[in-house]
Amino acid sequence: MPANRTQGATGNAPSIDLTPSITEFVGARAAFYVGRFKLLLAGQNRWRVNWAALIFGPLWAAARGIWAFFWLFAILELVAWVQVGRGIWGDLGADKLAEAARLQAKSDQLMAEAARGDTNAELLVESAGNLARAAENARAASEAGEASTTTYLLVGLLLLGLFKLMEGLWADRVYERQYTRWRVDKRVPSGFNLYRLAGGCALLLLVFSLTLYRFTVSQPDQRIVSVPVPSTYHTHTANLIEDYLDRTARAGAGLFNSIAGGTEAVLNAIEAVFVETSWPVIVIFFLLAAWRLAGGRVAIFTGAALAYMGILGLWEKSMLTLALVSSAAVFCVLMGIPLGVWCARSSRVYAVVRPVLDMMQTMPAFVYLIPIIAFFGTGKVPGILATIAFSMPPVIRLTALGLAQVPKDVVEAARAFGATQWQLMTGVELPLAAPTIMTGVNQTILMCLSMVVIASLIGARGLGQEVLVALQFVAKGQGILAGLAILCCAMVLDRIVQGRFRRGDGA
Amino acid sequence: MSDIPIKLEGVWKIFGTRAEEAMAAVRSEGLSKNEVLARFGAVIGIADVSFDVHWGEIFCIMGLSGSGKSTLIRHINRLIEPTAGRVEVLGRDVTRLSEPELRAMRSQKIGMVFQHMALLPHRSVRDNVAYPLEIRGAPKGRRWEISQHVLSLVGLDGFEDRFPDEISGGMQQRVGLARALASDPDVLLMDEPFSALDPLIRRQLQDQFKALSEQLHKTTLFITHDLDEAIRLGTRIAIMKDGRIVQIGTPVDIVTNPADDYVRDFVRNISRLKLVFAHAIMEPLTSDSAEKFAQSPRVSQDSDLDHLVDVAITTPHPLVITNAEGKDIGVVSKDRLLRGIQGGK
Ligand SMILES: Nc1ncnc2c1ncn2[C@@H]1O[C@H](COP(=O)(O)OP(=O)(O)O)[C@@H](O)[C@H]1O
Ligand SMILES: [Mg+2]
Repeated sequence: MPANRTQGATGNAPSIDLTPSITEFVGARAAFYVGRFKLLLAGQNRWRVNWAALIFGPLWAAARGIWAFFWLFAILELVAWVQVGRGIWGDLGADKLAEAARLQAKSDQLMAEAARGDTNAELLVESAGNLARAAENARAASEAGEASTTTYLLVGLLLLGLFKLMEGLWADRVYERQYTRWRVDKRVPSGFNLYRLAGGCALLLLVFSLTLYRFTVSQPDQRIVSVPVPSTYHTHTANLIEDYLDRTARAGAGLFNSIAGGTEAVLNAIEAVFVETSWPVIVIFFLLAAWRLAGGRVAIFTGAALAYMGILGLWEKSMLTLALVSSAAVFCVLMGIPLGVWCARSSRVYAVVRPVLDMMQTMPAFVYLIPIIAFFGTGKVPGILATIAFSMPPVIRLTALGLAQVPKDVVEAARAFGATQWQLMTGVELPLAAPTIMTGVNQTILMCLSMVVIASLIGARGLGQEVLVALQFVAKGQGILAGLAILCCAMVLDRIVQGRFRRGDGA
Repeated sequence: MSDIPIKLEGVWKIFGTRAEEAMAAVRSEGLSKNEVLARFGAVIGIADVSFDVHWGEIFCIMGLSGSGKSTLIRHINRLIEPTAGRVEVLGRDVTRLSEPELRAMRSQKIGMVFQHMALLPHRSVRDNVAYPLEIRGAPKGRRWEISQHVLSLVGLDGFEDRFPDEISGGMQQRVGLARALASDPDVLLMDEPFSALDPLIRRQLQDQFKALSEQLHKTTLFITHDLDEAIRLGTRIAIMKDGRIVQIGTPVDIVTNPADDYVRDFVRNISRLKLVFAHAIMEPLTSDSAEKFAQSPRVSQDSDLDHLVDVAITTPHPLVITNAEGKDIGVVSKDRLLRGIQGGK
């Protein structure tokens, strides 16, 4: 009964006349689109061809201001036209023919050398034969290329037809959706606009002509292919930067040396603990830590990981890596958490720090090495400094985030009971932000591990160096063993740190 | 000790970076709230508020959401600094206190309860209650004794070692109340403490709080948006509107004598049975009509309407009202009684 009544209520809904609003939106050829939109709105979903859109495609879309449609089909049509162009004018065998000629020349040269009676004439003759055969293959490919022009032409025309059909069938629906958006946001383009049409024409002309020229002519003008600037721009700028860095490094030598010295002292101490402690002690320590902090399963996994490192002879290198990671992580946390707190306290500081962090996190890891070697040279200390710089952003960011998320009313309550800034920070804000901060610490540790490998490029030792050597000598087995050891380190650290915070969470 | 625990004089609060300018302009030109917003981008939180709270009373501040109640109560412990005016608590000008003095006052003299409890989620109920004591550096044993004691005052024995998220909303707010009582403050600030609770629990907590406050003699500033609650708890009530206080009075004053249409609107739906008394609705008795009412029951002038109804249904005669000496002074007919219940038409 109630269902019936509802139906009665909606069934009686008076129809609304959209004609004026659609007319306002469409501009030119309103009557046609009013009809089409009404069919669509009435739920009649049969596909109907919009001939203007089919014939003019992207230009129709430009005039109507449907830019997504314009770009999509401009690119698709361009792909089709390039095929057609290559079919008609393309010199498809040209590349291969040139390659064949080059190979043949090389082969002839070798034959000539062999004929001159070189010591390893036999080898030369064999190489020359190989080259000659390759040249023959290239010539064959070139002929095949010539033959495939018709295929290109056909595929191109077929694609073109297909895209045109899509344009014609889709146009009304896309346009109707634009109308719906326009109703709520009048900045959405409406009407038939000649300026937009002219803009679309100009864009298409430029893009189509340059692209077709580039892809169909066998030797296009070099200015089209590469940016026409003299190569001295690059060398000059590079030299300038280099000079500047050198001067700064010389001027700040005292500072950089003391940073390096301090870091080295800490690193040496931690390294000594990891490397010089006898292995059973380390094993016991890790197992206990894993068990107490993260539970039995993590402890078993840790045991297996340590066994892997020990049995396969990667113990010392693994310990070096762990020492490097731990020192870097300790530095990151010691500097990152206070920085994060500062950022949370002062929006002005955060406004400065945030773009720097963004930049640090988007910059590829390798790039960190360059300023580091400029100021600190190579070796394990620059390695760890690069690691610290690379891995610090997550702690800073998540400390600031965690503190910002502390409920305002709890902070207010603490203040209302007379808490000092320090009591507020240590008793309320940091504990409540702890889960978020720990996520940051965890991310930082994992970033340290990935950077430790890259830092081996500038002389950091340990598993990273092992991987680097394996890469240089294509020693696949060695590389995979070292890679797995790094994975083990990462997983052990990750599980222990995360387990700690999950338990601390009380969940 | 000072004779007035809380005293506000001409307190203004204007939010915004140009608050000082706006304040000067308001003083000299008497701008309205909207004009201030348009000209200085500043919001008037409270405007020219003055009142005294007396020892041991529950002073309710009632107003709709956004009327500035929370802003006002935060001036008492200077969580918000006034733009102008004077706030005196326990005889001291709060705005003149140094940081350490202010902290000492907050942790020893003023307890506060919040609408959304604002308990520390990572601490047990006991440690939440002990938090103000911990801030003062009280030793752990003392903290535990006191928290045990105040938790029993609010009826939460046995919940000491739970975490806040393990107990119900009503219990959480009782923990909030216990925390405010822990440092045995002279003044309690309560910002809509019961508003977030469902009606049954709210009623229960109101009764419990009323009993407790009679027992402990705290001076309480109590914020609510619910006039019923204000009438049930308040010794006096201040009605706030757009940052201004429009009327201050006892519950009876407010209900029987609303200062303007705004207050009248509020009190329209308040039951008058327990708030209006016989002398307020009686017709004075002229000497010649005395024998006409010989059979009427006699009722004291201090009886409330509830009692008058009880008496009236036992007799067909009008009721005669007597004064303290037992002398007949007025008469209440049935019609008059009904009109009185309606609020006088
Ligand atoms: N920090 C602030 N900045 C700007 N405006 C505020 C601020 N705090 C409160 N207000 C404004 O002051 C007015 C009173 O708010 P509030 O005291 O929270 O009202 P209530 O507690 O009565 O609901 C509101 O209009 C609110 O928008
Ligand atoms: Mg409020």
